[in-house]
Amino acid sequence: MRRVLRMSYLVAGLGGIGFFGMSMLLLGVWPGRTLEEQIRRTQPAYPLPPTASEQRGRRIYSREGCAYCHTQQIRYVGSDFKRFGKATLAWETIFDFPHLWGTRRIGPDLSREAGIRSSDWQLSHLYAPQALVADSVMPAFPWLFDGAPNRPRQEARDLLDYLDTLGRNRALAGPEADVHARDAMDCSADERRYAFGKGELNASPAMARRSGEFPLLPRVKTQPAGQDVYARNCAGCHGARGEGNGKGADGLSPKPTNFTEQEYSQTRLSQALWHGVAGSAMPAWRDVSRPDLAAVAQVVRSFSATQAEPQIPPPVLELGASVYKARCAQCHGATGGGDGTAAGQFPIAPTNFRTQRPSLAASLRTVRNGIEGSPMAPWTNELREDEINAVAYYVRTFYTGDVR
Amino acid sequence: MPESSEESAPPVVETSLVYAHGLAAFVALLISACFGFWAAAELVVPQLAGSSPWLTWGRLRYDHTQGIMLGWLGNAFFAFLYHAVPVLTGRSVTNLKLGQWLFGLWNFIVVIPGWILVLAGFSQPLEWAEFPLVIDGFVVLALLLAAIQFLPPFFSRGLEDLYVSSWYIIGGLVFTLLAYPMGNFVPELLPGARGAAFSGLWIHDAVGLFVTPLALAIIYFVIPASTRRPIYSHFLSMLGFWLLFFLYPLNGTHHYVFSVIPMSAQIGAITASTLLGVDVVIVVTNLFLSLRGTGWFPRDPGLRFVSTGTMFYLVVSLQGSLQAQMSINQSVHFSDWVIGHSHMAMLGFASFAALGGLVHAWQRIPWASYQAGMINTGYWLLLSGVIVMVVDLTIAGLVQASSWKSGAPWLDSVRASQPYWAIRIFTFLPIAAGFFMVMAGLFAGKPGAGLKAIRDTVGPEPVAEIAPRFATGGQA
Ligand code: HEC
Ligand code: HEC
Ligand code: HEC
Repeated sequence: MRRVLRMSYLVAGLGGIGFFGMSMLLLGVWPGRTLEEQIRRTQPAYPLPPTASEQRGRRIYSREGCAYCHTQQIRYVGSDFKRFGKATLAWETIFDFPHLWGTRRIGPDLSREAGIRSSDWQLSHLYAPQALVADSVMPAFPWLFDGAPNRPRQEARDLLDYLDTLGRNRALAGPEADVHARDAMDCSADERRYAFGKGELNASPAMARRSGEFPLLPRVKTQPAGQDVYARNCAGCHGARGEGNGKGADGLSPKPTNFTEQEYSQTRLSQALWHGVAGSAMPAWRDVSRPDLAAVAQVVRSFSATQAEPQIPPPVLELGASVYKARCAQCHGATGGGDGTAAGQFPIAPTNFRTQRPSLAASLRTVRNGIEGSPMAPWTNELREDEINAVAYYVRTFYTGDVR
Repeated sequence: MPESSEESAPPVVETSLVYAHGLAAFVALLISACFGFWAAAELVVPQLAGSSPWLTWGRLRYDHTQGIMLGWLGNAFFAFLYHAVPVLTGRSVTNLKLGQWLFGLWNFIVVIPGWILVLAGFSQPLEWAEFPLVIDGFVVLALLLAAIQFLPPFFSRGLEDLYVSSWYIIGGLVFTLLAYPMGNFVPELLPGARGAAFSGLWIHDAVGLFVTPLALAIIYFVIPASTRRPIYSHFLSMLGFWLLFFLYPLNGTHHYVFSVIPMSAQIGAITASTLLGVDVVIVVTNLFLSLRGTGWFPRDPGLRFVSTGTMFYLVVSLQGSLQAQMSINQSVHFSDWVIGHSHMAMLGFASFAALGGLVHAWQRIPWASYQAGMINTGYWLLLSGVIVMVVDLTIAGLVQASSWKSGAPWLDSVRASQPYWAIRIFTFLPIAAGFFMVMAGLFAGKPGAGLKAIRDTVGPEPVAEIAPRFATGGQA
C-alpha cells in the first residue's frame, strides 16, 4: 500500500514538472515557432536594423521605465486601430531585445511614434513635458540635457533616434509589403482587418500633414470653452496672450507663432488646426471636437491686433512686385499662394499670403531676419533696404481673407 | 500517522531566522510601500521627481514591485517556512549556517543592491523581472539554496503523508526555481513577440507559482493550527492543488490578449483562466468550510489575517477569470483596473496571508515580543486601506477605458484619472500605518506575550498535538 502511494506521488510529482514543461511548450515554444514561421513569410526583404545610437536610446527607454506608461503594441481591436493605426505585426518586433510591449497605458501607445512629432517637440517634451502639454503627467528627463531643451546630451539624441525607429520599418516597407504580408499571414478575418484594413498605418490625430482635405470650421463667437481649450492645449507654446512666448517655446525652432501680429482667414486656421504645421512643432488637433476647434480658432483670432492699414505709394508696390517675382515667387508662388515651383522641396511649406497676413512689422522683421529653423532665410545681405521695405509691403497685398 | 522513536524528539524551529526574516520583511515592506507612494504621488504632482534621475517615476515603479515581491513577500515566506517546515515534517531544516547565508544573500546581495542598481539606471524593462541580470543570477542561486534548505525534510520523511501545505511549499519552491530564469533571461534572448510570449508566462508565474502557492501554504497551515481542527477535506485540498499547478502556468498569455501572439495560444490561456476561477472556488470552499464557526473576523490575529486573505483570494481570482475574457479585456486592459487587480492580489491576498503566517509563527517564538491590540488595529487600517484603494483604482480603470473608447483626446483620460490618483495617494496612509502597527505589535510588545496569549485563551499547545492536525489519513 505504502509503495503504491509512494509511486503515485512520484508520478504526480513528475507529472507536475511535466505540466510546467507543457505550459512552456504550449504557450512559449510553440507560439514562438509559429511566430518565427509567420515572420519568415511576412517580413519585408530588408528591414532596417537599429544603429548603435538607436540601440543606446532603446536602453535609455528601458532604464527610465517608459514602457510602464507607454505600450508598444497596437492590439487587434477596433479602438486601437482607430486611435493608433494598423495592428502590430510579428515581424515589426524582430529587433526588440527584450520586447517593450508594456501592459499599462498612462500615455499613448508609441508603436508608431516615428513621424508624429518633430524633433524639437520631442526634445522639449523630454526636457519638460508639462511645458508643452499642460496636463501631462509624464516625468521630465532633464538629466539627458545640458540645462536647456535645445542643448541635448548624447543620451537625449540617442533616445530621440530610438523614438524615430518606432514604426519606421513598417512605414518604409510601404503598402506593397503590407499586401505581401496580408497574403502570407495566417489569421482570422478580424485580425486581418485590424492589421491591414482600410485606414491609416499611423492614425495619430497629432501627426502633422502637409496637405489634404480639412473641414472648414464655422466662425463662432468668443466663448469660455475656447479659452479653456486654448489654456490646456496651446498656451504652453503660444503663450497665454498668444504672443508666442509660452513656457515651452524656448526649445522650439521655428518658434510658435505670435498671434498678435497675424491675421488669419478661417480657411487657414481650419487647415492649421486640422493638419498642424508639418516640419514644425505645431501638432495637428484632429482628436479635439469640432466645436472646441471652432472655439479655439476664435481665440486665436481674438489675439490679433488690427491696425490701420498704411497707404502704399504705387512705385513702392511696383518695386515690391518685381523683387517678389525675382526672389520670392519660386517659394511663395506667383500669386502668393505658397505654391511656388520650389515649394515642395522644403520641409516647411512656404506661407500662403492669400489666407494669412502678417502685420507690417512682422513682415519686415521676417524678410530682414528670416525665420530660424525654417527655409525662410534672412534677406539683408541680398536686398537693399528699400527693396526689403517694398517687398515686405507687397506680400501683404495678396491677402483675400476667406474668398477662395 | 507513523510515530517512529526519532520523530518524537521535537524538531528545532530556527527562531532566530524566523525573527531575522520577519524583521527584514517589514523593513522591505515599508521601503517598497514608500517607493509606491512616491510613484503614485508623482502621477498627481510630476514635479515631485525633481531633476534627479534617482527619483524618476519609472525607476521607483520598478523598485516598488520588486521590493514587494522579493523583499517583503520573499522574506515573509522564508520566515514562515522556518516555522512551518519543522512542524509539518517533524524534522529541522537543513542547516542553520545555510540559513544565515540565505538570509544574507537574499537581503544584502539581491534586494538592497537590486534597489540601488535600478535607481542608478541598471535594470530590465520586464515586468516582475526589473532587477538587472546580475541580480537575477543571485536570485536563482538563492532559490536553489532555499530548495536545499527547506525541501530535504519533506523527502527524508516520505511523501505519502504530506499535508497540502507541504505540497504547496514543495511546488512553490521547485516551480519558482524553474520559472524564474524563463521570465528573466529568455526575453533577453528572443526578440519581440517571441520573447513576449515567455514574459507573459512569467508575469503570471511570478504570482501563480511563487506568491500564490506559498500564500496558500500559509493559509492551509494557519487554519488547522489555529482552529485546532483538521482541514475540511484533504481530497478537495489535493484536487485544488493539482488543478492549480496544472492551470496556473497555462494562464500567462492572457496578459497579451489581442496581440500578435497566435490566437490559439491566447484562447488556450483564456480557457485556462476561466477554469482557474472554478479551481479557486473549490480551494476557497474547502478553506471556508474549515473556517466554519470562527466568524468573519476570527479572534486569533494570525487566523484573522489568513481568513481575510482567503476572501481576497476568491474575489481577486474571480476578477482575474473575468478580465481574461475577451469582451472585458478589450476595454479594461492597460487601465488602472488591472493595477487595482494586482493590488488586491499582492496586498489583499498575498500580504494578508503573509501577515497571518508571520503573526502565527511569531506568537510561537518563546522570546519574541507580541502585542495583540496593535496587530488588530493594524488589521483594520490595512483592510480599509486596501478596499478603498482597490475600489478607487477599479473605477479609475473603467473611467479610463470609456475615455479611450470614446476617441476623446488622450489627455482627457489622464485628466479624468486625477481625482482617483489623488485618492490612491491617500490610501497610503492607512496602509502604511496598518503595516507599521502590525510590525510594532510584533517588535514592541512584551517578550513571550504571544505564547502566553495562546495559553490563556485556548490552552497550551503540546507538540504531540500539533502534528495530527496536519495528518492526511483518517478524515476527522
Ligand atoms: C508616468 C508615465 C510616463 C512615463 C514614465 C513616460 N511617459 Fe511619455 N507620456 C506620458 C503621457 C501621460 C503622455 C501624454 C501627454 C504628453 O504628451 O505629455 C506621454 C506622451 C509621450 C509622447 C508623445 C506621444 C504622442 O505622439 O502623442 C512621447 C514620444 C513620449 N511620451 C515618450 C516617452 C519616453 C521616451 C519616455 C521615457 C524616457 C516616457 N515617455 C515616459 C506618460 C509617461
Ligand atoms: C508644441 C508647441 C505648440 C502647441 C502646443 C501649439 N502650437 Fe501652434 N504652432 C507652433 C509652432 C512652432 C508654430 C509655428 C510654425 C511655423 O513656423 O510655421 C505654430 C503655428 C500655429 C499657427 C499658425 C500657422 C501659420 O501658418 O501661421 C496656428 C494658427 C496655431 N499654431 C494654432 C495653435 C492652436 C490653436 C493651438 C492649440 C490647440 C496650438 N497652435 C498649439 C507650436 C505649437
Ligand atoms: C526657400 C523658399 C523661400 C523663399 C525664397 C522665400 N520664402 Fe518666405 N517663407 C518660406 C517659408 C518656408 C516660410 C514659412 C516659415 C514658417 O512657417 O516657419 C516663409 C515665411 C515668410 C514670411 C512670414 C509669414 C508670416 O506669416 O509670418 C514672410 C513675410 C516671407 N516668408 C516673406 C518672403 C519674402 C518677401 C521673400 C522674398 C524676398 C521670401 N519670403 C522668400 C520660404 C521662402
